Amino acid sequence: METLSYFLPQIWFGILALFLFLYVMLDGFDLGVGILSITSSTEERRSILMTSLSNFWDANETWLVLMGGGLFGAFPLAYGTILTALYIPITLMVFGFIFRAIAFEFREEAKRKLFWNLAFGVGSFTAALGQGFALGAVLKGIKVDPEGHFIGGNWDWLSWQSVLVALTLIQGYVLIGSTYLIWKTTDELQETHYKTAKIAAWTTLLGAIFITISTPIFYESARNRLFQQPLVYIFGIIPVLGILLISQLLTSLARKQERAPFVWTILLFVLTFIGLGLVVFPYIIPPEITIYEAAADPSSLVIMIVFIGFLIPVMLFYNLYQYIVFRGKVTGGHYGE
Amino acid sequence: MDFLSDTVVLSRMQFALTACIHMLWPTLTTGVGIYLVIIEGLWLKTKNPDYYYHARFWAKLYALNFGVGVATGIPMEFQFGTNWAPFSEAVGNFFGSVIGFEASWAFMLEAAFLGIMLFGWERVNPAIHYLSTILVAIGANLSTLWILTANSWMQTPAGGEMVNGKFVVHDYFQAIANPFMAKSVLHMFLATLETSLFVIGGISAWYILKNRNIAFFSKSFKIALAVAIAVAPLQIYVGHLSAEQVYHYQPAKLAAMEAQWNTLPAGQPANWSLLALPNNKAEKNDWEIVIPKALGYILEFKEKLSEPVLGLKEWKPQDRPRLVGLIYYSFRTMVGIGFVLAGLMFGSILYWLLGKFSPEKITEQKWLMRAWMFTAPLGFIAIDTGWIVRCVGRQPWTLYEQIRTVDSASHIPASNVLVSLTGFTVTYILLVIAYLYFGSRIIRRGPRFDLPVPGTEITKPAIDTTPGEFVPDERPVEAQQ
Repeated sequence: METLSYFLPQIWFGILALFLFLYVMLDGFDLGVGILSITSSTEERRSILMTSLSNFWDANETWLVLMGGGLFGAFPLAYGTILTALYIPITLMVFGFIFRAIAFEFREEAKRKLFWNLAFGVGSFTAALGQGFALGAVLKGIKVDPEGHFIGGNWDWLSWQSVLVALTLIQGYVLIGSTYLIWKTTDELQETHYKTAKIAAWTTLLGAIFITISTPIFYESARNRLFQQPLVYIFGIIPVLGILLISQLLTSLARKQERAPFVWTILLFVLTFIGLGLVVFPYIIPPEITIYEAAADPSSLVIMIVFIGFLIPVMLFYNLYQYIVFRGKVTGGHYGE
Repeated sequence: MDFLSDTVVLSRMQFALTACIHMLWPTLTTGVGIYLVIIEGLWLKTKNPDYYYHARFWAKLYALNFGVGVATGIPMEFQFGTNWAPFSEAVGNFFGSVIGFEASWAFMLEAAFLGIMLFGWERVNPAIHYLSTILVAIGANLSTLWILTANSWMQTPAGGEMVNGKFVVHDYFQAIANPFMAKSVLHMFLATLETSLFVIGGISAWYILKNRNIAFFSKSFKIALAVAIAVAPLQIYVGHLSAEQVYHYQPAKLAAMEAQWNTLPAGQPANWSLLALPNNKAEKNDWEIVIPKALGYILEFKEKLSEPVLGLKEWKPQDRPRLVGLIYYSFRTMVGIGFVLAGLMFGSILYWLLGKFSPEKITEQKWLMRAWMFTAPLGFIAIDTGWIVRCVGRQPWTLYEQIRTVDSASHIPASNVLVSLTGFTVTYILLVIAYLYFGSRIIRRGPRFDLPVPGTEITKPAIDTTPGEFVPDERPVEAQQ
């Protein structure tokens, strides 16, 4: 029983990390494309941008729904405490989602598209911003009482660090969105996004460097964690690998490769994710509450592995299948029929 | 205006608003999903291209609904954490798991295959496409299964007990198969299907009234009617069973549904109030119209009650639902609509049997077609009023007789909730207006008969339908009726 109450929360931490990663990667390029659409010069271009996502965006967003449901079931305390602490950024994100979704539904039908363009672009931006603030606030730490209930203030989530994280996340989304569009589009549109990808690669790098340096300086808990044996070696390797990946990415962009930039960007996301995961683990509400304290009963975690865990390969398979069905370049801007 | 500074009341209003508005869209996707399975099956079987065009046309409405359903559903999931954190923490062991099941069993399936169903006609072969359509319908309806399981468990918590403020599950399958579960799932399944059938029938009737593609829309009209033959009466019966389980498990809710303040003893006939004005302060109805001796027949199909019907006064005011009038009239609205829809179905069957739906005669049935048009929105009202009965009637509990609503809400500043509630209200009004506007535009434009039919070398238009038939109506909207 003892080992169970140790292992099960770890398994669920891993599963939720996988869901969150898939979400950040997949909806990341959706949101990135949405943010990029603000700068689109013509309606035709904007239509192609939206068409490139029209088959996928809802399934991509569903990974977040899945992550939310899993967190609710596996770590109910964390679900309640974190979302309460982040009321404002989460609400921002939710409104962003609503406007993005209705833009997908209604823009195609509308004669005057300005409002729906804004709904799509600004909605995507707002959702990304809310997520960035939320991530920044969780990394910075949430003030809780000994039972793990939120006791902080309404605006605790807002700090220069969370602003920095939010801006970097948006850059990251723009980067993965740009490289996705390089893969999915042709000609002028592709050219444009070689440029945006290059800019975003540099700005993301800048943000990442700032975060990497400032984290151990300003947070004692993170500092202790970073210099722990044997993790210190991993944390030493991550920035090196990061620089390597960025240079590969920039090279592939300079060589005008079509798929490599997207792949390098995904690897960058993986790397960042592993880094953040190692900083946070085993805490689920940093800096006080661990996954063991916040976990549901072991029997719940087992039943969830049976009911959800075994579906993960199936879900991965059919999601991959739909990407295969809709492979290839997007050239036209009509997805209605 | 005290409630403006009351976090609990505002959080309840916000959840009620998001739930009532959200529910409208999945209703159509779950019901129309099944309809699309029927239509596409008919196409594959008969190879009649009309069914293919039907599948394309109704799928377009499906798509319009799905995105809005996703957009309005996400706020609900997150509200459990943002606004109801103590509740989430207390019931996470079971309720949270079920929300996770819904996402993994239902949402993902529906979302992933929806793309293929809508846009994959030329990319996959017909068998795979049909499989996708079936999986989308299964996904949508699994969503009904899990959500109603979760909500039923809130009504009749089973399979465990509260220990130190947390629900500890002893038996998951008992919790899933809680007393309310089976009938509630069936009731909601039938509700979404029935509503969708009457929407499809109503839209088809509009085309028939407008003399547009009559033969084409007679088909969808008749299919909707044929399925409704089974669904509409069955729903009334399942509704009765649902009320019966409320009678046994949640007597306070039943008392509110019937505005019954005093206990009616067993072994005697009891009056049933048809209309009343409940007065919560005086604990009586200010006036009421009663039908003598009817309640026994309604609850048990016999004159005398075998169990007492407890009156609201049996509970202390803080232990019973307060909004008696809302529950009472919501219940009557829902039941009334159930009978109106079933009545329309029976009337239409009669016409059908008399041969009045033949291609020459169907356009003459103006009043019947109008009746279908005007009943099309009623199912939605029935569903929302039904949920009001179910969840307002459950008050003052979130987890029935275990956790109170006041103890379930997050301790957050009321101003936060006020701002987000205002945001949701404005956004949802905009959403409903835009949906109706674009939805009616899609309907006015009508089906596209110029789409290539997969698997045919030369695509010929179907029998009496030619692509050039539709001339856009340039008159102002008011003049078009």
